[in-house]
Amino acid sequence: MSILLQAQHIDKYFGEAHVLNDVSIDVREGSIFGLLGPNGAGKTTLIRVLTRITEPDHGTVLYKGQQLTDEIRRSFGYLPEERGLYRKMKVWEQAIYLTQLKGIDKQNASTQLDEWFERFSMQDWRKKRVEELSKGMQQKLQFVITVAHDPELLILDEPFSGFDPVNTEEIKAEILRLKEAGKTIIFSTHNMSSVEELCDDIALIHKGQNILFGGTQSVRSSFSQNLFEVVFKGSKVAFANAMGHRFEIDTITEIGDRFHAVVRSHTEESSKHLLKALAEFVEVLSFREKIPSMHDIFIAQVSAPNESLNPMTDGV
Amino acid sequence: MGSNIGLIIRREYLSRIRKRSFIIMSVLGPIIMAGVIIFAFWSSLEESEDQHILVIDDSYPFFADLTGTSTVRLEVQQLSLTKAEALLEASDFTGILYLPKNILANKSAELIFKKEPSFRVQRQLEERLQQYLEISKLKEFNVSESDYRRLKAPVTISTFKYLGPNQASEPADNLPAIVGQIFGVIIFFFILIYSVSVMRGVVEEKTNRIIEVMISSVRPFQLMFGKIVGVGAVGLTQFILWIVLTFTIVSIGQAVILGDKYLAGNQQPGAVTEMLQEQMDAENAMNLTKISSDDNLFNQIRRVNFPLMIGLFLFYFLGGYLLYSALMAAIGSAVDTDTDTQQFVFPVTFPLFLAYFLSFQIFSNPDGPLAVWLSIIPFTSPIIMMIRIAHGIDGADLWQVYLSMGLLVLTFLGAVWLSARIYRTGILMHGKKASLKEIYKWLTLR
Repeated sequence: MSILLQAQHIDKYFGEAHVLNDVSIDVREGSIFGLLGPNGAGKTTLIRVLTRITEPDHGTVLYKGQQLTDEIRRSFGYLPEERGLYRKMKVWEQAIYLTQLKGIDKQNASTQLDEWFERFSMQDWRKKRVEELSKGMQQKLQFVITVAHDPELLILDEPFSGFDPVNTEEIKAEILRLKEAGKTIIFSTHNMSSVEELCDDIALIHKGQNILFGGTQSVRSSFSQNLFEVVFKGSKVAFANAMGHRFEIDTITEIGDRFHAVVRSHTEESSKHLLKALAEFVEVLSFREKIPSMHDIFIAQVSAPNESLNPMTDGV
Repeated sequence: MGSNIGLIIRREYLSRIRKRSFIIMSVLGPIIMAGVIIFAFWSSLEESEDQHILVIDDSYPFFADLTGTSTVRLEVQQLSLTKAEALLEASDFTGILYLPKNILANKSAELIFKKEPSFRVQRQLEERLQQYLEISKLKEFNVSESDYRRLKAPVTISTFKYLGPNQASEPADNLPAIVGQIFGVIIFFFILIYSVSVMRGVVEEKTNRIIEVMISSVRPFQLMFGKIVGVGAVGLTQFILWIVLTFTIVSIGQAVILGDKYLAGNQQPGAVTEMLQEQMDAENAMNLTKISSDDNLFNQIRRVNFPLMIGLFLFYFLGGYLLYSALMAAIGSAVDTDTDTQQFVFPVTFPLFLAYFLSFQIFSNPDGPLAVWLSIIPFTSPIIMMIRIAHGIDGADLWQVYLSMGLLVLTFLGAVWLSARIYRTGILMHGKKASLKEIYKWLTLR
């Protein structure tokens, strides 16, 4: 996949505060890119730089290798974190207006919005004023307005905030569907489970720096501590005997008629050897490598006293 | 991207003219203005109502020969004031003119009325009395009345406005100046109302948090400019509606009132009355104002150069509005709520209020140094120059008009530029109240 959007060495100061410090990201075309980080890390500022709302002090943003222009950034679908609509305006009128501002003529805007209103069962809202809608309904409307002009690139700042679990699932499904349709999506979030479900690549921004980036799976794997989860029936002693000198039991608990164990490998050796050894002594019911969740990685990285890329040292 | 400004202007315009308050203002304004004009006209016609006044002469028969006019009939009687009042109650007398014994020394008399007579009736009575006293004094000085007539040299100055070598000059009166004052006041209110509307619109977008959605599609300047133009168009629409509706209502009112008077005139010997009236006026050495019946308020209104006045109104309204609304947009962007705007609105609109309050003073001295300066300074010129021009500007002073216009254009361009810089930073700032120092910092941000 080629690179669609590239931020190169972005620096941004607000007075004395160094809000973005040499941040670079590459967003692959057709991928979902997660921008992670605690509050105040600089995610929103980075997004504003990507949408040209804020000019960086240093660095450039490239779209398909070209300097980002107003015309191009207008084509983006952008859902800001601070979102809202004209409260007194009618829902349909407003949707048409904001879609037209994206450069779509009224006829096309109407056709596209009609589809989206149908999909989200919003047809009854058309003549209502925005202030008459519930917060959840407003959020949905806002999402529809963001995507109605069929953008190549979607930039969503905290898209799930304010949604109930049902609506969150609906939006997640839409994001995946848009990816299927070949769109590129960048979103920032605190919701780490959504990152694992959705993101191909991530960048973790902390104190204005990009401290961790790459494919979601490879990031998780890089934090792997060679732990394996085993569920087995049989003798605990036999299980321990199977460890040999290359493996060590981390924890073991008895649940009903079976045992749940976490095994640490001392070498980079593949799980094949462990599984083979175990099979001779106990009945293995399940076996999988234990990979740290994005949630764990996030917490560890953000609360770590230094921001280097040390693999985690605490138990998982 | 140009089409985006068009879309913004359209939304700002339509969302405002659909508001109930706009519709109410558009209807009420003309009704009030037309009402005032029609009332003024109607009460000027009321002056022709006949008066029959009982004159009580305490030094009878000193005033026995006092005569009135065709419309103000006088009847001199020797009665006590109490009896006269009883008579006033019982008969068709409209009033009592009481001439006390010491009138020669005090030079004052009293008029008691059932229904307040017009100022003109009062003035006619004064003139008659004065004349009567003068003539009676002639005997004291042994001057014949014909000598006195020759001695007195009444001069009237008729004023005509010079329009060019080949054009008939038009009679001047102070009505155009009054219209200028009214236009000045309208400019004041329009600038204030609509620039505040711009500010509120900006605050609304900020507090609604739609601002960031907007500026991901359009540049902040386009949004600000579109809003200013859209709201300005609402102001112009309102003004045009006011003018058109006011003229319509006044024309209907005129037709109705004059229709009545025409019928009334047929029943009375109107032409003769008029002739007598003119004769009286010519006789009257102390005559100060002449209101002939064909020179009513409507005709005076027609003499106002409305194309020029409206053209100037448009220029000064737009210039002043652009200047102030740009500054108000900047204020709106710097605050979080409507209530926070106060501290900034007052200093910014101060010159506008100053111009408004001084305009009444300038009305009586339109070419004084204060008027000249305020008509050139762009923050006050939209109101003050309007008034000065309505009074008529000397050809040699025309440079002041051009300077005033040029400065206004330059200043609003500067204000728009300055405000755009504050605006684009301010609209994204939430949660902290901006200080002037902070705002200055925004100006220097890239």
